[in-house]
Amino acid sequence: MTRKQRMLRELSAAQFAKWELHLYLDTHPSDMRAAALFAEYEKKCEAMRAAYEEEFGPLTAPTGEGAEWLKNPWPWDIERCD
Amino acid sequence: MFTYEKKLQYPINIKKPDPKAAMIIISQYGGPDGELSASMNYLSQRYGMPYPELKGLLTDIGTEELGHFEMIGTMVYQLTRNLTPEQIKQAGFDTYFVDHTAGIYPQAASGAPWTASYIQSKGDVIADLHNDLAAEQKARTTYDNILRLVDDPDIIDPIRFLREREIVHYQRFGEGLRLATDKLYSKNFYAFNPSFDKCAVKK
Repeated sequence: MTRKQRMLRELSAAQFAKWELHLYLDTHPSDMRAAALFAEYEKKCEAMRAAYEEEFGPLTAPTGEGAEWLKNPWPWDIERCD
Repeated sequence: MFTYEKKLQYPINIKKPDPKAAMIIISQYGGPDGELSASMNYLSQRYGMPYPELKGLLTDIGTEELGHFEMIGTMVYQLTRNLTPEQIKQAGFDTYFVDHTAGIYPQAASGAPWTASYIQSKGDVIADLHNDLAAEQKARTTYDNILRLVDDPDIIDPIRFLREREIVHYQRFGEGLRLATDKLYSKNFYAFNPSFDKCAVKK
Protein backbone atom coordinates (compact mmCIF):
# COMPACT_ATOMS: atom_id res chain seq x y z
CA MET A 1 0.00 0.00 0.00
CA THR A 2 1.30 3.47 -0.89
CA ARG A 3 1.45 6.32 1.61
CA LYS A 4 -1.34 7.99 -0.34
CA GLN A 5 -3.57 4.91 -0.15
CA ARG A 6 -2.87 4.49 3.55
CA MET A 7 -3.71 8.12 4.34
CA LEU A 8 -6.90 7.94 2.27
CA ARG A 9 -7.90 4.70 3.99
CA GLU A 10 -7.32 6.16 7.47
CA LEU A 11 -9.33 9.26 6.54
CA SER A 12 -12.13 7.05 5.19
CA ALA A 13 -12.21 5.02 8.40
CA ALA A 14 -12.54 8.19 10.52
CA GLN A 15 -15.15 9.60 8.14
CA PHE A 16 -17.08 6.35 8.36
CA ALA A 17 -17.18 6.49 12.17
CA LYS A 18 -18.31 10.11 11.97
CA TRP A 19 -21.02 9.24 9.43
CA GLU A 20 -22.32 6.33 11.53
CA LEU A 21 -22.67 8.70 14.49
CA HIS A 22 -24.36 11.26 12.26
CA LEU A 23 -27.02 8.73 11.14
CA TYR A 24 -27.47 7.52 14.72
CA LEU A 25 -27.99 11.12 15.86
CA ASP A 26 -30.79 11.55 13.27
CA THR A 27 -32.93 9.18 15.33
CA HIS A 28 -31.30 9.93 18.73
CA PRO A 29 -30.86 13.72 18.57
CA SER A 30 -30.59 14.16 22.34
CA ASP A 31 -27.87 11.57 22.95
CA MET A 32 -25.13 13.86 24.29
CA ARG A 33 -22.51 11.13 24.50
CA ALA A 34 -22.90 10.34 20.81
CA ALA A 35 -22.88 14.06 19.98
CA ALA A 36 -19.59 14.50 21.85
CA LEU A 37 -18.08 11.51 20.07
CA PHE A 38 -19.27 12.96 16.77
CA ALA A 39 -17.51 16.26 17.55
CA GLU A 40 -14.35 14.34 18.37
CA TYR A 41 -14.40 12.51 15.02
CA GLU A 42 -15.23 15.72 13.19
CA LYS A 43 -12.06 17.30 14.53
CA LYS A 44 -10.04 14.21 13.67
CA CYS A 45 -11.43 14.07 10.11
CA GLU A 46 -10.71 17.73 9.53
CA ALA A 47 -7.05 17.35 10.51
CA MET A 48 -6.63 14.16 8.46
CA ARG A 49 -8.30 15.71 5.43
CA ALA A 50 -6.08 18.80 5.61
CA ALA A 51 -2.96 16.62 5.85
CA TYR A 52 -4.05 14.53 2.86
CA GLU A 53 -5.04 17.52 0.71
CA GLU A 54 -1.77 19.27 1.50
CA GLU A 55 0.15 16.35 0.04
CA PHE A 56 -2.10 14.90 -2.63
CA GLY A 57 -4.48 17.63 -3.79
CA PRO A 58 -8.10 18.62 -3.22
CA LEU A 59 -10.82 16.14 -2.25
CA THR A 60 -13.88 18.34 -2.75
CA ALA A 61 -14.88 20.41 -5.77
CA PRO A 62 -15.21 23.75 -3.92
CA THR A 63 -11.65 23.60 -2.58
CA GLY A 64 -10.05 22.36 -5.77
CA GLU A 65 -9.22 24.39 -8.83
CA GLY A 66 -8.07 23.71 -12.36
CA ALA A 67 -5.22 21.29 -12.90
CA GLU A 68 -5.06 20.21 -9.23
CA TRP A 69 -8.73 19.16 -9.22
CA LEU A 70 -8.51 17.45 -12.59
CA LYS A 71 -5.48 15.38 -11.72
CA ASN A 72 -5.79 11.58 -12.03
CA PRO A 73 -6.65 9.23 -10.45
CA TRP A 74 -10.40 9.63 -10.08
CA PRO A 75 -12.15 7.44 -7.51
CA TRP A 76 -13.01 4.69 -10.00
CA ASP A 77 -9.49 4.44 -11.41
CA ILE A 78 -7.36 1.49 -10.40
CA GLU A 79 -4.38 2.51 -8.30
CA ARG A 80 -1.13 0.61 -8.30
CA CYS A 81 -0.23 -0.84 -4.94
CA ASP A 82 3.55 -0.74 -5.38
CA MET B 1 -27.24 21.28 -2.90
CA PHE B 2 -24.73 18.52 -3.14
CA THR B 3 -20.96 18.66 -2.99
CA TYR B 4 -18.79 16.01 -4.61
CA GLU B 5 -16.03 14.36 -2.65
CA LYS B 6 -13.34 12.86 -4.88
CA LYS B 7 -13.07 9.53 -3.08
CA LEU B 8 -15.08 6.36 -2.55
CA GLN B 9 -16.81 5.62 0.74
CA TYR B 10 -14.91 2.32 0.85
CA PRO B 11 -11.84 1.40 -1.24
CA ILE B 12 -12.25 -0.71 -4.39
CA ASN B 13 -9.31 -2.15 -6.30
CA ILE B 14 -10.29 -5.10 -8.47
CA LYS B 15 -7.20 -6.52 -10.11
CA LYS B 16 -8.83 -9.21 -12.27
CA PRO B 17 -11.43 -8.20 -14.88
CA ASP B 18 -14.52 -10.46 -14.80
CA PRO B 19 -17.32 -9.40 -17.15
CA LYS B 20 -19.58 -12.21 -15.94
CA ALA B 21 -19.44 -10.87 -12.37
CA ALA B 22 -19.95 -7.33 -13.73
CA MET B 23 -23.21 -8.39 -15.40
CA ILE B 24 -24.52 -9.66 -12.06
CA ILE B 25 -23.28 -6.75 -9.92
CA ILE B 26 -24.75 -4.17 -12.33
CA SER B 27 -28.15 -5.04 -10.86
CA GLN B 28 -27.20 -3.02 -7.80
CA TYR B 29 -26.45 -0.09 -10.15
CA GLY B 30 -29.72 0.07 -12.08
CA GLY B 31 -31.80 -2.89 -10.93
CA PRO B 32 -35.10 -2.86 -8.96
CA ASP B 33 -33.45 -2.91 -5.51
CA GLY B 34 -30.21 -1.23 -6.54
CA GLU B 35 -28.48 1.84 -5.12
CA LEU B 36 -29.97 4.24 -7.69
CA SER B 37 -33.48 3.08 -6.75
CA ALA B 38 -32.69 3.46 -3.06
CA SER B 39 -31.31 6.96 -3.47
CA MET B 40 -34.20 8.16 -5.66
CA ASN B 41 -36.67 6.59 -3.20
CA TYR B 42 -35.37 8.43 -0.16
CA LEU B 43 -34.40 11.72 -1.79
CA SER B 44 -37.91 11.96 -3.31
CA GLN B 45 -39.84 10.80 -0.26
CA ARG B 46 -38.16 13.25 2.12
CA TYR B 47 -40.36 16.15 0.91
CA GLY B 48 -43.42 14.37 2.28
CA MET B 49 -41.89 13.69 5.69
CA PRO B 50 -43.64 15.54 8.53
CA TYR B 51 -40.89 15.40 11.20
CA PRO B 52 -37.36 16.85 11.16
CA GLU B 53 -35.72 13.57 12.27
CA LEU B 54 -37.20 11.87 9.20
CA LYS B 55 -36.30 14.69 6.82
CA GLY B 56 -32.73 14.34 8.08
CA LEU B 57 -32.69 10.56 7.95
CA LEU B 58 -34.01 10.33 4.38
CA THR B 59 -31.68 13.09 3.18
CA ASP B 60 -28.67 11.42 4.79
CA ILE B 61 -29.38 7.84 3.76
CA GLY B 62 -30.42 8.99 0.26
CA THR B 63 -27.08 10.78 -0.01
CA GLU B 64 -25.08 7.78 1.24
CA GLU B 65 -26.84 5.65 -1.41
CA LEU B 66 -25.42 7.96 -4.09
CA GLY B 67 -21.98 7.08 -2.72
CA HIS B 68 -22.90 3.40 -3.02
CA PHE B 69 -24.13 3.99 -6.57
CA GLU B 70 -20.63 5.30 -7.31
CA MET B 71 -19.05 2.26 -5.63
CA ILE B 72 -21.08 -0.17 -7.76
CA GLY B 73 -20.30 1.82 -10.92
CA THR B 74 -16.61 1.61 -9.99
CA MET B 75 -16.85 -2.17 -9.55
CA VAL B 76 -18.56 -2.68 -12.92
CA TYR B 77 -16.02 -0.37 -14.55
CA GLN B 78 -13.01 -2.18 -13.06
CA LEU B 79 -14.47 -5.61 -13.88
CA THR B 80 -14.84 -4.75 -17.59
CA ARG B 81 -11.46 -3.16 -18.33
CA ASN B 82 -9.13 -4.25 -21.15
CA LEU B 83 -11.33 -7.04 -22.50
CA THR B 84 -10.65 -8.80 -25.78
CA PRO B 85 -13.52 -9.67 -28.16
CA GLU B 86 -12.92 -13.34 -27.24
CA GLN B 87 -13.29 -12.67 -23.50
CA ILE B 88 -16.44 -10.62 -24.18
CA LYS B 89 -18.04 -13.46 -26.16
CA GLN B 90 -16.94 -16.16 -23.76
CA ALA B 91 -18.39 -14.37 -20.72
CA GLY B 92 -21.70 -13.64 -22.43
CA PHE B 93 -20.92 -9.93 -22.09
CA ASP B 94 -21.58 -9.46 -25.84
CA THR B 95 -25.28 -8.63 -25.39
CA TYR B 96 -24.33 -5.69 -23.14
CA PHE B 97 -21.27 -4.73 -25.16
CA VAL B 98 -23.18 -4.31 -28.42
CA ASP B 99 -25.24 -1.45 -26.95
CA HIS B 100 -22.88 0.13 -24.43
CA THR B 101 -19.31 -1.01 -25.27
CA ALA B 102 -17.75 -0.87 -21.77
CA GLY B 103 -19.77 2.19 -20.72
CA ILE B 104 -21.72 2.03 -17.46
CA TYR B 105 -25.50 1.96 -17.97
CA PRO B 106 -28.13 1.66 -15.21
CA GLN B 107 -29.81 -1.64 -15.85
CA ALA B 108 -30.79 -4.82 -14.00
CA ALA B 109 -28.81 -8.04 -14.50
CA SER B 110 -31.62 -9.14 -16.82
CA GLY B 111 -30.90 -6.14 -19.09
CA ALA B 112 -34.07 -4.23 -18.12
CA PRO B 113 -33.18 -0.51 -17.97
CA TRP B 114 -33.63 1.46 -14.74
CA THR B 115 -37.08 2.95 -14.38
CA ALA B 116 -38.80 5.20 -11.84
CA SER B 117 -41.36 2.40 -11.44
CA TYR B 118 -38.73 0.80 -9.17
CA ILE B 119 -39.33 3.51 -6.58
CA GLN B 120 -42.27 4.58 -4.42
CA SER B 121 -43.21 8.01 -3.10
CA LYS B 122 -46.60 7.85 -1.44
CA GLY B 123 -46.59 11.07 0.57
CA ASP B 124 -47.61 9.10 3.67
CA VAL B 125 -45.06 8.61 6.42
CA ILE B 126 -46.14 5.08 7.39
CA ALA B 127 -46.45 3.83 3.81
CA ASP B 128 -43.11 5.34 2.77
CA LEU B 129 -41.13 4.14 5.78
CA HIS B 130 -42.45 0.60 5.42
CA ASN B 131 -41.41 0.74 1.77
CA ASP B 132 -37.93 1.86 2.87
CA LEU B 133 -37.56 -0.92 5.42
CA ALA B 134 -38.49 -3.41 2.69
CA ALA B 135 -36.11 -1.73 0.22
CA GLU B 136 -33.17 -2.22 2.61
CA GLN B 137 -34.00 -5.90 3.14
CA LYS B 138 -34.41 -6.50 -0.61
CA ALA B 139 -31.04 -4.87 -1.27
CA ARG B 140 -29.51 -6.99 1.51
CA THR B 141 -30.94 -10.12 -0.17
CA THR B 142 -29.50 -9.04 -3.53
CA TYR B 143 -26.06 -8.62 -1.93
CA ASP B 144 -26.42 -12.05 -0.31
CA ASN B 145 -27.20 -13.47 -3.75
CA ILE B 146 -24.20 -11.70 -5.30
CA LEU B 147 -21.99 -13.19 -2.55
CA ARG B 148 -23.34 -16.64 -3.49
CA LEU B 149 -22.17 -16.10 -7.07
CA VAL B 150 -18.70 -14.51 -6.80
CA ASP B 151 -15.42 -15.77 -5.35
CA ASP B 152 -12.85 -12.98 -5.93
CA PRO B 153 -11.90 -11.41 -2.56
CA ASP B 154 -11.45 -8.04 -4.32
CA ILE B 155 -15.20 -8.19 -5.13
CA ILE B 156 -16.39 -9.84 -1.92
CA ASP B 157 -14.85 -7.24 0.41
CA PRO B 158 -16.68 -4.11 -0.86
CA ILE B 159 -19.90 -6.11 -1.46
CA ARG B 160 -19.83 -7.18 2.21
CA PHE B 161 -19.40 -3.55 3.23
CA LEU B 162 -22.44 -2.54 1.15
CA ARG B 163 -24.47 -5.44 2.54
CA GLU B 164 -23.75 -4.25 6.07
CA ARG B 165 -24.91 -0.75 5.23
CA GLU B 166 -28.34 -2.15 4.28
CA ILE B 167 -28.63 -3.61 7.77
CA VAL B 168 -27.61 -0.35 9.47
CA HIS B 169 -30.06 1.64 7.32
CA TYR B 170 -32.83 -0.86 8.15
CA GLN B 171 -32.13 -0.27 11.85
CA ARG B 172 -32.25 3.53 11.44
CA PHE B 173 -35.48 3.37 9.39
CA GLY B 174 -37.01 1.17 12.10
CA GLU B 175 -36.17 3.83 14.67
CA GLY B 176 -37.61 6.45 12.31
CA LEU B 177 -40.87 4.52 12.06
CA ARG B 178 -41.01 4.28 15.86
CA LEU B 179 -40.42 8.05 16.14
CA ALA B 180 -43.25 8.63 13.67
CA THR B 181 -45.79 6.35 15.31
CA ASP B 182 -45.03 7.90 18.71
CA LYS B 183 -46.28 11.19 17.31
CA LEU B 184 -49.41 9.80 15.63
CA TYR B 185 -52.79 9.13 17.22
CA SER B 186 -52.01 6.06 19.35
CA LYS B 187 -55.45 4.44 18.93
CA ASN B 188 -55.26 4.58 15.14
CA PHE B 189 -52.00 5.43 13.36
CA TYR B 190 -53.91 5.80 10.11
CA ALA B 191 -56.43 8.34 11.42
CA PHE B 192 -54.65 11.16 9.62
CA ASN B 193 -51.62 11.84 7.46
CA PRO B 194 -49.65 14.54 9.31
CA SER B 195 -48.06 15.89 6.14
CA PHE B 196 -51.48 16.39 4.48
CA ASP B 197 -54.22 16.66 7.11
CA LYS B 198 -52.69 19.77 8.71
CA CYS B 199 -55.67 20.62 10.89
CA ALA B 200 -55.49 17.23 12.61
CA VAL B 201 -51.80 17.41 13.55
CA LYS B 202 -51.21 17.11 17.28
CA LYS B 203 -49.42 20.11 18.72
